[in-house]
Amino acid sequence: MVIPRLGHPNIGLGLGLRTVHYRHILAHNPQVDWFEIISENYMDSGGRPRYVLEQVAERYPIVMHGVSLSIGSTDPLDFDYLKRLKNLADSIGALWLSDHVCWTGVAGLNAHDLLPIPYSEAVLKHLCERIGIVQDLLERPLVLENPSSYVTFADSTMPEWEFINRMAEKTDCGLLLDVNNVYVSSVNHDFDPVEYLQAVPHERVVQFHLAGHTNLGTHCIDTHDGHVIDPVWELYRLAHRLTGGASTLLEWDAKIPEFPVVHAEVLKAKRFMDEELVEVGVVRDDQRATQPLVEVRGDSATVPHPAAFVVAEAE
Amino acid sequence: MTNQPRDLRKIQRWMQAVIMHPDGIVGGINSAAARAQIGVSSDEVDRVITRSQALNSVKRLEVYGNAYYARLLEVLCGEFPALRHAAGQEAFDGFAFGYLQSSPSHSYTLAALSGSFPQYMEETRPTRETGEEGPDWPDFLIDLARLERAYSDVFDGPGPERGELLKSDELSDIPQECWPDVILVPVACLRLMTFRFPVHGYASAVRNAKGEGPAPPNPQQTYLAINRRDYVVRRRALSFVQYELLRAIVEGSTLADAIARAVEATDTDVETLARQFGDWFQVWTAAQFFQAVKLPGQAT
Repeated sequence: MVIPRLGHPNIGLGLGLRTVHYRHILAHNPQVDWFEIISENYMDSGGRPRYVLEQVAERYPIVMHGVSLSIGSTDPLDFDYLKRLKNLADSIGALWLSDHVCWTGVAGLNAHDLLPIPYSEAVLKHLCERIGIVQDLLERPLVLENPSSYVTFADSTMPEWEFINRMAEKTDCGLLLDVNNVYVSSVNHDFDPVEYLQAVPHERVVQFHLAGHTNLGTHCIDTHDGHVIDPVWELYRLAHRLTGGASTLLEWDAKIPEFPVVHAEVLKAKRFMDEELVEVGVVRDDQRATQPLVEVRGDSATVPHPAAFVVAEAE
Repeated sequence: MTNQPRDLRKIQRWMQAVIMHPDGIVGGINSAAARAQIGVSSDEVDRVITRSQALNSVKRLEVYGNAYYARLLEVLCGEFPALRHAAGQEAFDGFAFGYLQSSPSHSYTLAALSGSFPQYMEETRPTRETGEEGPDWPDFLIDLARLERAYSDVFDGPGPERGELLKSDELSDIPQECWPDVILVPVACLRLMTFRFPVHGYASAVRNAKGEGPAPPNPQQTYLAINRRDYVVRRRALSFVQYELLRAIVEGSTLADAIARAVEATDTDVETLARQFGDWFQVWTAAQFFQAVKLPGQAT
């Protein structure tokens, strides 16, 4: 029998921990239920990011979300990376570790992108073998996220939701169901997002992601640079009902506004929950003073996120 | 969909060659690296990548191709604001684009992306005009790249905040006769660097600028000590003799040897130096350059 959500509790409504919010979080202790970090930003840090993380971890539950595991790659697994990942998880008491159903590079390179895989029997076998190795090494189940994608392969022999379903059943891993990614991919690949949500194994959904995206008319890009749109909220309502509710996190990685704006966005999720199904902590944010927008860099309208880099603070 | 899936390794190597190609997706599809994996032309690419109702296969691949360079250029822009300001956006993008082609990322972390960017700037600098002497514009840009990369290394590398630091009274307590044999242990993050331009002032002015930003400075031989205090990178300008003295200390010399090296390298009068260096060490200790002092006979 599968333990729902791998035994992980619903820890409520969380936010991605981003450098531009460090000062606000440390100064005001906002009543956020939990924070998610980009693992690679902290694994090797001997500076301020790691220092801040340790303080945040003393006050809030922390979940780790990686972007470089490259579980779908045909390159050998990077055991040094996995060791560092585990060390960080152990040291901050991370509740769970997640990454993406994707690859990030081959031949030793890293494109720093979440690249899609063909959904075929051979690839399923390849992925499941690697997930098994990683789970053994990390001594805990992986939680894997459906990525946003912009291409599909002629070699695919099954839809993404079937692949993910079978992958989860075979490896006993958890799922991070990114509702925005389902929407983005449904537009890009002409499928029905409701069918997707109905087909994934609901008891394995440990966590949801929500985010904004950019609709370019012909396709959508997962830019994480704005508010969650109404159709995604409606999909979240359905996902919440189908799964009985799971920990929910808002990602905002470009054109990041002041903290209260991001916090208010994730709190909107409460409107789409069936109150009989789940209890979440009453979340209050008493720090709603308007601050100027911070961190506007590059042309985020065409760049899928997350791109994880911490700029040095110099005197 | 096809009944005979291709080898995943071939698909991934093909796709990587296509989306990382500097001439775009069509150039990538037609490249030898891509064709060595899957021999399709851009007209046949839907045999690998299916089209959607709205976009053909090439357009769909362009999302990844455009994002690859855009994302990494954004990272480099964020890490090198002073170099970008000095060079201008277009020239900076050119440097960064060339660098990404010559040194694509091999690391799981973007923090390592620019590790050899200063070296790339040095290796690709324009040939100096015959008869031209002294530091020139490319030297200024190279110096900025070196400085800003050092800031990144010091910012997120091992720092002094959680360890023991040398205190001023520990210096005062050292008996006079022991001073020559004293060895000062620097903090791990201390970097001593030389530049041909006063790039530290320029970089700070760029970071603090509200409007147009600073004009480039004139050449001036510059010596800097870069370290970290309270998780923020700090830089301190040094004189030549201070630089040589600290350099010898960082290399493990006793104070007597360090002074001798500094005097010899800078042709400074030893009496003059002796009158000053007590004050220097107080300042450097307060600036957290040192973590400990080793006295003669003390175990290492």
